[in-house]
Amino acid sequence: MSYYLQSIQSEKTVYLFYTFTIVEYSFFCYFIYLILPKSGIKKSIPFIWIGFIVFALIDSVFINKDVGFDSFTSGIESIIIILFCIYYLYTQLKGANNLMIYSTFNFWVIITFLIYFCGTFFLYLMTASMHHNVSFQKQYFIINIAFNILKNILLCIAMTMKLSDTVNQQKSVIPKSGDEFFLNQKI
Amino acid sequence: MFFLQTTLGVSSVLILGTLGMFFMAITLVSIVVFHQRRVIRFNKQIQKMEEERQQMLLRASIQFQEEERQRIAADLHDDAGPLLATARLYLNENLIHQEPALQLQSIFSAKQIIDDSIQLIRNISHSLMPPTLKNFGLEAAIKDLFDKINGSGVINSSARFHDNRQRLNDEQELLVFRILQELVTNIIKHSSAGFIHLTQNAQGNLVYFRIHHDGKGILQQDFEKMEQGSSGLGLKNIQSRIRVLKGKIYFEIDNTHTYYKVTIEVPREPVK
Repeated sequence: MSYYLQSIQSEKTVYLFYTFTIVEYSFFCYFIYLILPKSGIKKSIPFIWIGFIVFALIDSVFINKDVGFDSFTSGIESIIIILFCIYYLYTQLKGANNLMIYSTFNFWVIITFLIYFCGTFFLYLMTASMHHNVSFQKQYFIINIAFNILKNILLCIAMTMKLSDTVNQQKSVIPKSGDEFFLNQKI
Repeated sequence: MFFLQTTLGVSSVLILGTLGMFFMAITLVSIVVFHQRRVIRFNKQIQKMEEERQQMLLRASIQFQEEERQRIAADLHDDAGPLLATARLYLNENLIHQEPALQLQSIFSAKQIIDDSIQLIRNISHSLMPPTLKNFGLEAAIKDLFDKINGSGVINSSARFHDNRQRLNDEQELLVFRILQELVTNIIKHSSAGFIHLTQNAQGNLVYFRIHHDGKGILQQDFEKMEQGSSGLGLKNIQSRIRVLKGKIYFEIDNTHTYYKVTIEVPREPVK
């Protein structure tokens, strides 16, 4: 992803960007669908996903075929993902959960996406029209790499949370041999 | 976007836009985290207060039970014990060597003492569980209680049940009786009232009991304060019984400030 501009000159690679956007969006939709509590928004996720795929296909085939970068699709993707992230945070605020929000895996994944897509929103939106501008290219690299590094750090934290969750779950499991152990003891 | 680019320049738009969005995201996340921390802290505080309250009610209940046991023990030890010991003295082994007239007198005295003991034990039993309540229900028990108070001549008391066609279940009636008994005892002990009047009524699934008196009463805030404080064992018991009943209690004064009102609201539960 950090090297969009290097390949942007090639007309065929634009389809690769669209594929990447669709795959990225699909994974995110699946993830948010799994973690959201039952609600109208959750039910609408599959429809929004289909709508976005159709839109991306139309954009790639008919509207954006000569531009070289899927700015419009990426912009729409960013807006949808940011809104989903905000909705998730809202559900967490509303829910009466006594667990600290920042100690969960889901929260860190969500804020990773939120920060990453907020940070790169303007960048991707302007790429299609500005990719010939040299100063823009420099800024593009700096911003894109910075947010990619931040994204990876935040995802690492999320993974750490997941690992600690698994370890705690394993600790709390009572061994099945417990009963036999107590029954065989001579008192 | 095009307008922004032409007026501010590409770099400015990109940098300001990115920074703006980034700080918006950070602010959002910070708000969520801090708000959730505050909510959790608040919930924990409420939970702690509730636990303390429960502990206090439990302690009051245990203390009340202990006092009740001590009272029964004292009644049995101080009254029934000497009476039975005296009866035993009359019926000792030397009785057979005595004159028939003396024998008859001793047996008669012993019989009288045993009758007194039976009466005493009956009184203790009645104080634990009023037989009127058990046999005839709350209305009869309350009227009996108020008649007894009225009979003492110290205070004028009356009770009126307006709608008692659908009675509370036995457990609820006992709890309501205990609450009313405690309230009436408090009024007699502390308020210097000239009259006590009890009214009962029902609306839908709720049954209301209201006590009026013209003495010195307490208001809702006083009740809450005393109930949460270390004193006021009787009020704590009232509150714990109200909780068991899932009811409500209100302490008020009328608009003319001439008499105090205590209202109890009890939801009916199906008869077991």
